[in-house]
Amino acid sequence: MIDEIRKIVAERLNETDDKGARLDGMVALRRTGPAVAPHVFVAGDDLSTLEINPRYPLMTVVSRLHKRLPDIRLGVVARGCDERAYVEMAKRNQIDPERLVILGFACTAEEALECYCAEPFPKNLVVGTPAAPGPQNPIVAKYDTMTLAERRAFWKQQFVKCIKCYGCRNICPECFCEACAMEDKAWVEPGFLAPPFPAFHLIRAMHMASRCIACRQCEHTCPAHIPLTVLYDLMRRDMEALLGYVPGADLAALPPLSVTLEQTPLLLGDAHDPATIPLAPIGR
Amino acid sequence: MGVEFEPKIVAFMCNWCTYAGADNAGVARMESPSNVLPIRVMCSGRISPEMVMRAFRAGADGVLVMGCHIGDCHYSTGNHRSVKRMPLLRNLLATVGVNPERLELTWVSAAEAPRFVQVTHSFTDKIRSLGPLSQEVAE
Repeated sequence: MIDEIRKIVAERLNETDDKGARLDGMVALRRTGPAVAPHVFVAGDDLSTLEINPRYPLMTVVSRLHKRLPDIRLGVVARGCDERAYVEMAKRNQIDPERLVILGFACTAEEALECYCAEPFPKNLVVGTPAAPGPQNPIVAKYDTMTLAERRAFWKQQFVKCIKCYGCRNICPECFCEACAMEDKAWVEPGFLAPPFPAFHLIRAMHMASRCIACRQCEHTCPAHIPLTVLYDLMRRDMEALLGYVPGADLAALPPLSVTLEQTPLLLGDAHDPATIPLAPIGR
Repeated sequence: MGVEFEPKIVAFMCNWCTYAGADNAGVARMESPSNVLPIRVMCSGRISPEMVMRAFRAGADGVLVMGCHIGDCHYSTGNHRSVKRMPLLRNLLATVGVNPERLELTWVSAAEAPRFVQVTHSFTDKIRSLGPLSQEVAE
């Protein structure tokens, strides 16, 4: 697969489109010695150093380049999750769709399994064959039967491990606010380790409600091994049930929390009487 | 033994409807529970999850978010934001094991002083029966 990707990248970098324009570069990972880092490959580069592992949120690199260089036209070697990240970023003016070509490849079945990934392939699939979706995270699958006390016990034991490194935020392709609520003293008091239960993590979770595209980067990055994607998977599920919104699925779909009820109505309950809006099931 | 638990309630009220409704309740000498700490905001759509979390962190046992009825928002669609956001936050509280009944969103207009009294009483009673949040979270 990697050879095919390298070959196609080389072709794309030398191609001119119908207006005679070329891509200015291709964003991908590059091996340098024992390490791998994001890199912009240009025509003529040695593509034998291009890599696809480990998984890395390359759309953050694309976003920075688009903002700094208003004319640059890029390609990017992308997985399914990278493409979903692109959708939510483009919607929020972090990436210019007109200046990006996505060269998608399918993840392996093992990767889909490891990530509990529901869609381990991009829509712009160029290389590879789609693997079957991974299973649901087993904790998420049994969550509805857990009582409030069981949930509390589970999360307290997880959140107490937090060393407040902000790694989950820093790696997240959808965390691009210039002022972060998690660094605002009004919302997250400094001087606590672990951060007070559960505000720190809930603030982030709420901010992810219409953005989390289930790339699992936060959980992979977390040095304390907090199963953050359980929290975000449940958030995503509630979001889909209440507002029918699946982040990353559709560039044209409006982010429901930023628009009116006429644009994206509630699918459950009656907005005129919020008491009628049902809660997700809770174990008794 | 001990003193009976009296809950602390933080009530975010929108300037244009609920706050006026609460004011009218006072002018009419209707009695509303002294457990309720009113915080006037310009719109229920201004209430971010961070504010609700901070209220809980600061010692509130329950948080009420009150605004104009749908269609009556002074800013046309500010309450559309809150009616999408708050149910998600309630679910999120439940996800981490905090009783979601501790957060409630409801609409009270300027003309609904009796409704303001009724809502604050019933919410306070509900939270009183749930007990202190500190006890729940410390378990």
